[in-house]
Parts: sequence; structure tokens; C-alpha cells
Amino acid sequence: MDQFLQQLVNGLSIGSIYALMAVGYSLVYSIMNFSNFAHGSVIMLGAYFGFYSLTALGVPFSAAFGIAIFGTAAIAVIIERLAYKPLRDRRAPFLYFIITAMGASIFIDNSVIATIGPTPKTFPPDLLPAFLQGAPLEWGALSVGRIDLTIFVVAAICLAVLMVFIDFTKLGKAIQATAYNMKASALMGINPDFVIILVFAIGGGLAGVAGVLYGMKYQVFPQMSAITLKSFIAAVFGGLGSLPGALLGSLLLALIETFVSGYLSTQYRDLFAFIILIAMLVVRPSGIMGKDAEDKA
Amino acid sequence: MEYIQGIAVLIGINLIAVLGLSILTGFTGLFSFGHGGFMAIGAYVAAIVSSRLGLPGPLAFPAAILAGALAAGVTSVFIGKLTLNLKGDYFCIATMGFGEAIRVILNNIDYVGGARGWANLPQLTTWWVVLVLDVVCVVLVWNLINSRHGRNMVAVREEELAAQMAGVNVFRSKMTALVVSAALAGVAGALLGNYIQFLRPTMFNMAKSTDLTIMVIFGGLGSISGSIAGTILLVSLPEVFRNFAQWRLVIYGLAVIVIMVGRPQGLMGGVELTPSGIRKLLAARRARARLEAELKAAEQGGN
Amino acid sequence: MRKSLCSMLVAAMALSLGAQTPATVKIGWFGPETGDSALWGQAELNTVKMMANDYNAKGGITVGGKKVKVEIVAYDDKGDSVEAVNVVKRLISQDKVVAIVGAQGSGEAIPVAPIVNDAKIPLVASTATNPKVTVSDSGAVNSYVFRACFTDPYQGKVAAYFASQKLGKKKAAILMTIDDPYSTGLSQYFKENFEKAGGKVVSEVSYTSGEKDFRAPLTKIKAANPDVVFIPAYYNDVALASKQARDLGIKQLLLGGDGWPSDNLISLAGKSLEGCLFINHLDMDGAAAKPMRDEYKAKYNKNAELNSYMVHDALLMVVDAIQRAGTVNSVAIQKALTTCNLQGITGHIKIGANHDPVGKEAWLIKIVGPDMKFQEKFATAN
Repeated sequence: MDQFLQQLVNGLSIGSIYALMAVGYSLVYSIMNFSNFAHGSVIMLGAYFGFYSLTALGVPFSAAFGIAIFGTAAIAVIIERLAYKPLRDRRAPFLYFIITAMGASIFIDNSVIATIGPTPKTFPPDLLPAFLQGAPLEWGALSVGRIDLTIFVVAAICLAVLMVFIDFTKLGKAIQATAYNMKASALMGINPDFVIILVFAIGGGLAGVAGVLYGMKYQVFPQMSAITLKSFIAAVFGGLGSLPGALLGSLLLALIETFVSGYLSTQYRDLFAFIILIAMLVVRPSGIMGKDAEDKA
Repeated sequence: MEYIQGIAVLIGINLIAVLGLSILTGFTGLFSFGHGGFMAIGAYVAAIVSSRLGLPGPLAFPAAILAGALAAGVTSVFIGKLTLNLKGDYFCIATMGFGEAIRVILNNIDYVGGARGWANLPQLTTWWVVLVLDVVCVVLVWNLINSRHGRNMVAVREEELAAQMAGVNVFRSKMTALVVSAALAGVAGALLGNYIQFLRPTMFNMAKSTDLTIMVIFGGLGSISGSIAGTILLVSLPEVFRNFAQWRLVIYGLAVIVIMVGRPQGLMGGVELTPSGIRKLLAARRARARLEAELKAAEQGGN
Repeated sequence: MRKSLCSMLVAAMALSLGAQTPATVKIGWFGPETGDSALWGQAELNTVKMMANDYNAKGGITVGGKKVKVEIVAYDDKGDSVEAVNVVKRLISQDKVVAIVGAQGSGEAIPVAPIVNDAKIPLVASTATNPKVTVSDSGAVNSYVFRACFTDPYQGKVAAYFASQKLGKKKAAILMTIDDPYSTGLSQYFKENFEKAGGKVVSEVSYTSGEKDFRAPLTKIKAANPDVVFIPAYYNDVALASKQARDLGIKQLLLGGDGWPSDNLISLAGKSLEGCLFINHLDMDGAAAKPMRDEYKAKYNKNAELNSYMVHDALLMVVDAIQRAGTVNSVAIQKALTTCNLQGITGHIKIGANHDPVGKEAWLIKIVGPDMKFQEKFATAN
């Protein structure tokens, strides 16, 4: 039983990170209808922004966090303006977007490798806020790391705030409208360009949060965008374009992964994830909570 | 000379996979992250046939290549059945998953060496074999593209819904493209294993799939001579620019963005390096010049 | 055009002069200058360049009574098997090196073995520990491949010896990288020898490379309650795993192999590795390594990595073979290598029938604060 509970905690903790990453994907997907593969690289940059603000610039932790969030939001918008907007203006086929996103991802990842280097870095424990520095919290045989608890709480808060924003504010409604039908909302007076920039900025900011938290929990290294493949799968699993779906998909995926490696075998864990993905795509491509209508064209 | 020959063989091997991928991505508009997986299947099946089955000498290698291509092609039929009806995005993710899944499975099969790798495979791939197969593949792909099937694929790429309404069996076109590209990737894999005489699943990871796609992009989507040019360039350039090895991928990434945004026709600009292709280019130029002259005359006439 | 004409004439003259010793001898090096293992590749490259400089500052190495300068021709294999084959072919046919050192990864050393065997150019691997590097699948020794390090079977035996005899542990758990043959090989040999010595492996869990979260497998280890946890992995994963293990409440001793030693290990792991032990090819803080350690630090402003010392001895083996053979002919160099018997920075290197060093010492190192302190060394007949 102890082992089961511990694995449950393990899964939830990984799932929170997947969720933060997946939500960014889903948000952009709901508006732009394509998968922004560059998202992973933005997450990685967030971790580096946070790390260097803390160590090289020497600012306090909350400021470093803030810098990371604004930095990634800015980068996400820059990528959109430079790489995606020209394609949108030209009504380029959706294929071009994916290829460009891949190019952006390769460019960013390898720029970091070529300049800073591939060796991983770790957040110095003494520069972190005090409440993170203690020993893990223990309840009997169950052990919960402080950073894990923090991630869970932060993820929950971010997602709650986001959902309130989307559902209850005017801007949020504008985003929903544009996601539903860009042309019609433009006719209604909503500036699609503005909405797109907003969405990328929000997605980028979330990426920054995810990056710093991930960097704190594990390490900061340039190949981080590979990890976001999992969150990508989680977003599809839960339903691309649905925020609650991204959250649900992430937690479920992480729990399934953890239990498979805990009780069955680690080597087949990734295989399981992909099989579940394929199964979901075959049975219910819109995901657990995705929109049912699918525009084939 | 052995070194230069080695590079030529690598170009030739990659070319076959790139030609296949060109059909899928360049002509049919489907993006695949998993063709490394098809190469892996081709490579390992071919290796089993050539080293473990004990066929007589001259029969072994052709049988191996065919087996590899067949295995990859059949696997792609399964994948295709499951995913080709979905939107492009989902197909992408599925191929990504497939590529990784193949690698994980191969890592765990001890019979073919697993993660340790399989060494001492016979050296059967020679410069001549590669050259002959390259020519065969180019002819094959050329004929496919210029046939009814090829035109259907382009229609699917351009506007799927309209193509469907015009009577094109979209699913069948996509499946044909996928199977052909997978089979060709399988051939390439078979040649690779029997060239470096060593196989390891990491050789076929997502980086390999991405490399192949970049070669297609550089050459220009929808151009066979472009794919050839792209492959030659991207396999030989790293040799020439060894000093900038660290920046190679940075430049590739940037180049992909620039190409997609600025010149999606890539190197060859959608022009095929054939007599008819060049004639078409010249004719288009002439027509444009004539049009400009007419416009100018009309303006002056109007004034 | 004129330059190549000149070099052709020089080459023709050199050839016509037959067996006469040239003024420069070219030795090749290949390894991962870029890619995931770039840290080690760059450490090796820096070292061989430094050594060549040192030899040439003294006028060169003495071959058959003449002073010959050493030129290192280096290529990046990007940690990729296909690229390794590529660059080795280039070293042999374009650059015409007489010997090659490097090949720090078994995944790169194994495929190039048939090439160097065919071309009759000897290769001395620095840290490739997989047994298949020198002995092929069919059981035949790769005639032109040697190595400066001990092999994984040997290392596993030593690790098991330390765990059971020296530390008195009876129950061991193993955490390995499932898709890395180094890790799985080492853990297999550890298990065999640990159980032969009367111990019991109570839990054997794994993860795939690239993984950052080890909690699931670690939780299983915790439930099995071992005396010691053996982690035959690279420093990167070890640092993460140890931190997470401590977070989970696993307080047992952690034991490791030669994938652990790195400048970054302790800074990445923080306090989680305090008091833990690992096996190394030498005592990197010790007296034998000091001159090279200081010289490397002064020249490159970085600490030498394990690979630096290993490739140093690999190059030493080649130079020693050249000098004993009295010629730069590669076939003669290979013959001399089979009888190699010298004292390198990493210990006594006596090449045996399998082209591996026989009875090379393994050093048990303990992590104390920010330092790695030598505990004891151990050698056994292979």
C-alpha cells in the first residue's frame, strides 16, 4: 500500500509538470489549429532565463521567476511574428507551419548547445527560497519533496487563473470566439492579430513557469524540448484544444506511466504511452475531452 | 579515395530514403517524424536475412533488401490504416510515437543485439549497388509522380476537400505515398546496415527522421531533383565545414525557417532538372516578359 | 594547385626513400567533440594536443635514433556510430595516420574495428570498456584494436568484491540504464560476482536514457530494503537519481562505476552523494596524476576529466610502441603493442592475449564533501 501511495504521489508530481507544458500547447492549438513544436524550446529557454537570472544576475528568486516568464512570453511572440505570421498571411498550407516550428525548435536548441554548452546545470539550493530548502515532507513511509508540492500548487493556481480568465473575462471570451471561428470574430470587431499575440504570450509565459519549475526539480539542460513530447501526447490524450483536457490528459498519462514502470517494467513504459496514444487516436481522436467536430480540410 | 567513396555511398543511401520521404511530404503534404523507424525495420530485417538465414551468396543481399523493404512497407500499412484518416497533426504525432516505439522495441530484442548493437554484419553494400539502386529509385519515383497517382497526391496536398469532391480517393493516395516512402526507407536502412557493418537502434532515432525531412525541405517540396540536390548538399557539407560542426544544426534550423517563410520551393525552386522542366521554365519566363511588354504598351497607349 | 603538386612531390620523395623515418608522425584521434558526450571528447582532444606539444617542445619523440615530431589529426564523431566509421576512413585513407587513439565510446569503437583491422592501422581505445571492442562476436581477437582501460566484466567483479568483502554488504539493489550496454553489462557482471560471493540482489530496476525522473524505480528499491544500491550509470543520471533517492527517504550507501567521476558530479548532486563510493581507473587527486592535472589546469583553466588521463595513457602506449619498434610502420607498431608493458598515469598497463590490460588496478574512491578521496586500490588477474 505504501508503495502504491508513493507511486501515486510520484505520478501526480510528474503530471503537474506535464500539465503546465500541455496547457501551453493546447492553448495555441485551439487558436491556430496547428501544433507548435517550438513550445518545447521555449520551455527550455525559460529554465535558462531563470537559472542565469538567479546565478549570474544575482536577483532574488521571485524576480528571476518573473524574468523567465516575461522572457519566454516575449520569445513566443517573436517566434510567432517572425516565423508564423508570414505563413499565415500567405495562407500557407498547414504543413509549412509544422516544418517551420520544427526549424525554430532545432535552431533554438542548438544555439543554446553551441553557445552555453550541453552540460546540465542545477539550481544552487542556497539560492532558492527558504521553504524549498528543507528536507522532504514525510508521512510515515510516504515522502513528498517540497518542490513537488510547490509544482502541484503552482500548476493548479496557474490553470485555475487561466480558466477564469478564459471563461469570465472579455479578453478570454475574445480568445474563445477567435478559436471558434477566426473570420467571424474578426467581422464582429475582434482583432485576430491581437488575440493571436495574446495567446502566444500566455502560452509562452506558462512555458516559462514550466521551464523554471522543471529546471528546479531536475536540471537545466538544452535537450529539454524532448521531454515536452510527453506533454504533447498528454494534450492529444486529453483532447487538443481543451484546457481541462490538457490537465486531465497530463495527470492520467503521468499516472499510467508511473504505475507501469513501478509495477510492470520501466523499459516498456514509453511503449505503453505510445500504444495508448495510438489507441486513443483510433478510438476517439478528439481525445477525452476534445471537441467532437473535426474539420478535415 | 576510400573516404570519398564512403561519403558517396552515404549520399546514395540517404538519397533513397529522402526520395521516398519526398513523395510523402513533398508531394502528398504529410509530415512524418518517424521514418527513422521504417529505416530501422528495413535495416534489421535485412540484417537477419543476410546473416542469419544462410542463403547462398549472390542471392542473400537482394533477398535481404527486398525483405527489408517489404517489412517496412507492411508495417506502414498498419500504421496508415490507423492514422491516415486523421488530421495532419495527429498523423505527425503518431509517426513520432511510432518511430520512438520501434526504437524501444528494438532495444529490447536480444536476438538482434538490443541496445548493445549488432556488429560484424557482412559488407555487402558497395558503391555500384548503391548507384544502381539510386538510378532505379529515381526512375521509379519519377514515374510515380508523373502518373495519375502522383497527380492525385499533389491534389491531396493542395486542397484535400476539393480533391475528394473531384473523385480522388484521398485515403488511397495517402496510403500509397506512405507505403512507397516506407519501403524506400526500408531499402535505405538495409543498405546502411550492410555498409557500416554495425546496427544500433539509436542510429534511427528522431534526429535521423528530422535529418531526412530537412534534406527534403532544402531541396524544395515537390521537386525530385531538389531532393537529390538537398541530399548531396546536406551529407557532404558537414565534411567540408568540420570546423563549424557545433553550428551546423543551428544553421539548419534557421535555414528551415527562412526557406519555409521565404522560398518554400527550396534550392531548385520547383523546377525539375530535366529537358522538359527547363523548357517549361524558359516558356514561363518568355510568357511573363511578353505580358509585361503588353502591359507597358497598354499604359503608353492609354496615355 | 602548386601546393598539392608540392605535397605530391614530397610524398613521392618520402615513398621513394622507403623505410626511412619521416620528420613527423601522424597519429589520429576521434571522439565526440559535439553531442551528449562532448565533455569527454573535448577533454580527450585537449589532452592529446597538450601531449603532442610537450613532445614537440623537446624536439619530438625518439624513433630509431632520430627525433620525430608528433602531429595529431583529430575528427569529431558526434557520438554517432555512422560518423565514427566515416572519420576513421578519412583518417586512414586521406590523412594516412600510422595509429589512432580515442574511441571513448564502445558504440563508436565496435563498428570501426573491422576497418582498422583491414587497413592494418592500430587503434588504442581510451575508455571503451565493452568486451566486444577487442574481442568480436565470433570470439576472435580484433588484431588491430587495443585499449588502455579495464573492461566491464573486470569492473563488475571489482565492484562486487568491494561491496561484499570490503563493505560487508549482503543485499544489493541495482539501478541501471536499460538501453546503455555499458550500464547493463556492468550491472550484469556485478550481479554475477556479488551472488557468487554470497550476496543477494534484492531489486533490479532500470530506466531509459534521457530519463530525468527515477522515482518510480527508486520507490521499488526502497520497498526492497537493500544494504547498498549499485548505480552503474553516468554522472548526470547519478546526480539526479541520488537527489531523488534521498528525497524519497532512501538513506543507503550508493556505489558506482567509472561513469561517475566528473568535475560536475558533486556540484550537480549536492549533499546527496556524501560518503558514497565509486570505482575509477585511477586516483584523479593523487600523486601520479598531479603533474598532468596541474599542467592541464594551467593550460586550459579547467579540471582534467577521467578521459584525459585515459587518453593520455592510450597515446603513451602508442608512442611507447613506436619507440620500441624503432619505426613508424603501422604493422610494426601493432606488433609492439601486443607486448606493451608500461606504467601509465592510470596504473600498470600490461597487454594480454585479448589486447586488454591484464590485472589493471581499480581504485575505490569516496566522496567526502566537495572532494573525491582515494580509499584503496585493488587488482586481480583478469
